[in-house]
Amino acid sequence: MTDFEPILIAFVCNWCTYTAADLAGTSRLRVPKNVRLIRVMCTGMVDPQYILKALLHGADGVLVSGCHPGDCHYLNGNFKARRRIKLLQEILPCFGIESERLRLTWIGASDGIRFAEVLHELVARLREIGPNRAAAVTAVY
Amino acid sequence: MKRRVGRAVVVGAGIAGIRAALDLAEVGYGVTLVDRAPHPTGLLGRLDSQFPTDRCGLCRMLPRIERDAASAHCLRRGFFHERIDLRLNTEVAAIEGEAGRLRVTLRRVSGGVDPERCVGCGRCAAVCPVETPDAFNAGLTLRKAIDRPSPHAFPDAYALDPEACTRCGACLEACPTGAIRLPGAERRSFRILVVDDELSVRDSLKEWLEAEGFSAAMAASGPEALAALEAESFHLMLLDIKMPGMEGVEVLERAKRMRPALDVVMMTAYATVETAVEAMKIGALDYLIKPFDVASLIPKVAERFERFAAAEDLPLTAAAVVLCGGSEGYDPLSGKNPFGYGALAGVLTQLEFERLLSGTGPTGGRLLRPRDRQPVGRIAWIQCVGSRDLQEGADFCASICCMASIKEALRAKAVAGAELEATIFSMDVRTPGKSFQRYRERAEELHGVRFVRARPHSVTRGPEGKGLRIRWVEAGGGCREESFDLVVLAVGRRPAPVVAEAAERLGLALNPWGFLVPEPFSLCRTAHPGILIGGTCGGMADIAETVIQASAAAAEASLRLHAAGGGAAEEEKPPAALSEHPAGEPPRILAVFCRCERSADAPALPDPVLHALRRDPEVAAVEPVAPLCTAEGRLGLAALLSRAGANRLLLGACRLLRHPSPLREIEEASGLPAGWIETADLALWAGETRPDAHDARFALQSGLVRLKNAEARETEAIPITRAALVVGGGVAGMTAALAVADHGVAVDLVEAADRLGGNLAWLTRTLEGHPVPSLREDLEARVKRHPRIRLHTRSRVVQAEGEVGSFVTLLEGPQGDVRRIEHGVVILATGGREAPVHGFGRGESPAVMTQAELERSLSAGTLEAAALEAVVMIQCAGSRREPRNYCSRVCCPTALRQIAALRERRPGLRAAVLYRDLMTPGFAETAFTRARQEGVLFIPYRPERPPEVRPAGRAAVVTVEEPILGRPLEIEAQLVVLAAGVVPTLPRELAEAYGARLDRDGFFEEADPKWRPVDGLKEGVFACGLALSPRTIPEAVATAQAAAVRALAILGRERLPSGRIVARIRRSLCSLCEQCIEACPYGARRLDPERRQVVVNPVMCQGCGACAAVCPNDAATLEGFSARQMFGVIEAALG
Repeated sequence: MTDFEPILIAFVCNWCTYTAADLAGTSRLRVPKNVRLIRVMCTGMVDPQYILKALLHGADGVLVSGCHPGDCHYLNGNFKARRRIKLLQEILPCFGIESERLRLTWIGASDGIRFAEVLHELVARLREIGPNRAAAVTAVY
Repeated sequence: MKRRVGRAVVVGAGIAGIRAALDLAEVGYGVTLVDRAPHPTGLLGRLDSQFPTDRCGLCRMLPRIERDAASAHCLRRGFFHERIDLRLNTEVAAIEGEAGRLRVTLRRVSGGVDPERCVGCGRCAAVCPVETPDAFNAGLTLRKAIDRPSPHAFPDAYALDPEACTRCGACLEACPTGAIRLPGAERRSFRILVVDDELSVRDSLKEWLEAEGFSAAMAASGPEALAALEAESFHLMLLDIKMPGMEGVEVLERAKRMRPALDVVMMTAYATVETAVEAMKIGALDYLIKPFDVASLIPKVAERFERFAAAEDLPLTAAAVVLCGGSEGYDPLSGKNPFGYGALAGVLTQLEFERLLSGTGPTGGRLLRPRDRQPVGRIAWIQCVGSRDLQEGADFCASICCMASIKEALRAKAVAGAELEATIFSMDVRTPGKSFQRYRERAEELHGVRFVRARPHSVTRGPEGKGLRIRWVEAGGGCREESFDLVVLAVGRRPAPVVAEAAERLGLALNPWGFLVPEPFSLCRTAHPGILIGGTCGGMADIAETVIQASAAAAEASLRLHAAGGGAAEEEKPPAALSEHPAGEPPRILAVFCRCERSADAPALPDPVLHALRRDPEVAAVEPVAPLCTAEGRLGLAALLSRAGANRLLLGACRLLRHPSPLREIEEASGLPAGWIETADLALWAGETRPDAHDARFALQSGLVRLKNAEARETEAIPITRAALVVGGGVAGMTAALAVADHGVAVDLVEAADRLGGNLAWLTRTLEGHPVPSLREDLEARVKRHPRIRLHTRSRVVQAEGEVGSFVTLLEGPQGDVRRIEHGVVILATGGREAPVHGFGRGESPAVMTQAELERSLSAGTLEAAALEAVVMIQCAGSRREPRNYCSRVCCPTALRQIAALRERRPGLRAAVLYRDLMTPGFAETAFTRARQEGVLFIPYRPERPPEVRPAGRAAVVTVEEPILGRPLEIEAQLVVLAAGVVPTLPRELAEAYGARLDRDGFFEEADPKWRPVDGLKEGVFACGLALSPRTIPEAVATAQAAAVRALAILGRERLPSGRIVARIRRSLCSLCEQCIEACPYGARRLDPERRQVVVNPVMCQGCGACAAVCPNDAATLEGFSARQMFGVIEAALG
């Protein structure tokens, strides 16, 4: 399993976490391989379908990251995301997906270091869990 | 897009400057925003969080109306607005003229990095040998003399610190684009030719001139000089008259023929002065008499150089200038008691502590002691260091530090854990704002922050060199000591140096502490009608008040622009020609790759990626292009598009092209609508960070799939009824109505009473001593004779409906007549009144009255002041405790003012103020000091032991626990005045009719308490005055002006455009479940009952996509983020 490189999809909000991701880049911090950043306007627009699509079609993990509570540019989008992702984590095992493969974090604009850390942590954890088998099963659909 | 003609200059790009500039730009004017610093956002860009959320909300300052005109990203990265010319590293060299026609000269700060050329590669910083304290991190870290000014700066231009730079020139060689100019290099570029036959003269001149930084070339004779002039260009020639061969005058004649613009100064011995004078007739500028010294020579050369340098200045004509110079922190080392700052590790200023907590700070956001990096268990905050301090010449309150310290304590606990002990030492804990008191109590009761009422004596090293010992005297007189790991000094504020410069240049008045003095009843007007005060250079204020004040300054500036004709003329900017590219056309995509020094860091695209792109049937062509951030790069775009027959554009470029400024240029150059251009960021994490070409492939593929499924439609627009409704005719309502109407916009002003004026009717004078009745008369007269204001007294709103741009309100008049009014915005100025108060002997003793009652009897002359022996003021009578747990802000200053008024009538009157925390923020503090000096007794009481009042004949006896004596004290007074506080009088039905909400105390709930303090969450609804929160008259005026300028951003045009990223609805799929309506945070969606359809107001929609996420049928979609696009992007990520 040592050569297993998990694929991680990160939905990041345009305001806070995208700024942190950019900050990580301009600060020349090391970011793990195989992370694909998808910028969305707000975590509140991340439809559970997007997450399921990713997890059922080859992603080993999904990160949704937005503004801290109280920070949301759109006031409460991050709270909507929090409710939605909690529910989704509960039903993921029904698809044969470990709920740990989905993670929600709050990463503010100045948290470039934190952003890199979260990616490293999550990739390390995904390495431990191993490949997402649900992806292989459903790839035919 | 229409644009008004006229320009304002805003000096200072902190939050006040940004707010003022954005407001003016949103109204439609051009703004030049200037800052000396290399990066905007001032102090706030260095604070990660603000209370009460203990988080950030800076981006909420960005426009909601016409939001595509501005950047849509975190403000810490800087910002963009198409009508704001942001000029960094620039200062104001001169301001002359009158309001409406000010001549402003801007000058670039000497030396630096040209942001147009800098590609942010960082090679300069890598070779720079100089390390200097990083101002962004308050000196807690080091930076290079050339470095990024802020970690967020975008575009990531580097900045040079001229003070630290040693001019070694290493960076010049390293820079791949020649973007760097060393400070003082302007002198080096000023070339001087010295012509003299004497070697000693040439040598000494060369030495002197080069020591001053000029470049000097030498010529020993006339012919030699002419040859040099032929070969090279010079700015100045120093020319000897008496030379063998060709004489100086002949050289002059020939030189002037060759180079007419050349400045020539003659050098002459005393004997040939007459010849020199003759030489001046044929074009020499001046002469120097030999033998001369450095002192006489250099000023003449310098003067010529100044003229040369001034030629690069930027002259502007502006109708108004808003000064937003801001303030800076007091330096504890400059005072008598630095509390160990600078000497003891672990003594920090508030700003340093903020940086310590920041993710971009020295410890990456972990709370460790600077220098030794030890963990922190106990922190103390010492308030009022360098403020409220006569010894430091600072008899004013800095207004922001109490709340900042509480926030820092809570943030520290959030970072380090709840077990962290936080203690705040203060004289008063000043919480003079709407939510402040509850925030403080939450900190104390829920999070265990300890508040100690004391002004500590000193901070010393603890025993065995461990910890920091704070020594203080308790109320009872005992001395106490405790050890802490970290001590944070809540240092006061001082005006920024530019404030004094501006005041001197413009002859503006400064108060004893160097802040600008506004005109009576205003926070922003100065004696010069064209110069306005924005932000804290007129006095310290917290974020919300600063933002309000800056908006008020923008309103005044907008009036000057309007008066100067700015409102009348409009320039038309042609919209992007969408009709040439109908949405039904199949996509033909041109993919271009931008190559420059910046992309040299990015991995080269592997052939298979390019190959896949070329093979894609919808890709018409793949072309490399010159850098698209330059004009020449964009020049060929249109030709490339037409050659390829392409209708969509994929830009493979760096992050710079995400910046709206070059993107805007590309839209214009390509003639394509914005939605049909995609930027694939090929180097988000460039270089050594992650050498992975897969990223680039993913970026390109997602750009492609987004373009293939793009549905660029015409941006929608909604019509605007260009009229405002103002509800409430007090000082705020009248001011708001006038500010809007003075812009030529119709206003309906509704007042329930039969007379205008509201609370002005009974107030006598302000704390500053300005008489209130004259203000009332003036405003009332102006309202009544204003041709654009329709006044409805004894009227009330009975029904209202509609949305921004088209509200309809039914008014009921005095005879029950109903009037229908159409308006585009509504401003709620329904005011407030003194709160009802119970207890404290009220109703039992004739001696007990409220502040308002005393005010009325003072102005009516019914109070028999001569009979008074003693007066007791009881502060917080019923306020700052549940259910009215907020500070009313006005009562403490009022108590001080009333004591002064009573003592005028009855000299020697004994007076006592019983208070909890004396709330005299800002310069109101001086009145507090004066009262103490004049012998007024101030006795603090604890809320759980409030003073008791019992009648004693005509008088009353007040009993209060005296904290110093430690026992009850009885005071017999003929007058006991209760400070009851303010309650709002905003009817819930009225607010809700317009979609506004009330907070738990009945005040208007703002869209954001810090960043949108006068806007409602629902677009087009504003509030001002006491409806918003308790405030003084000048503060109420400021909110009214702020509300007016925000309203004018909507009322300034016939139609309001929507943003590009906006939600839509596919009616055929909609099942009318209404979940999207509930999900929308802006109330932009509603059910149209007649058409049985859900409709979206495209202007109110801010494009968050919450509706799309809840829609079970994919009927609600967000432009640019459709399900097809999102699924396509996810597939690209996994491919």
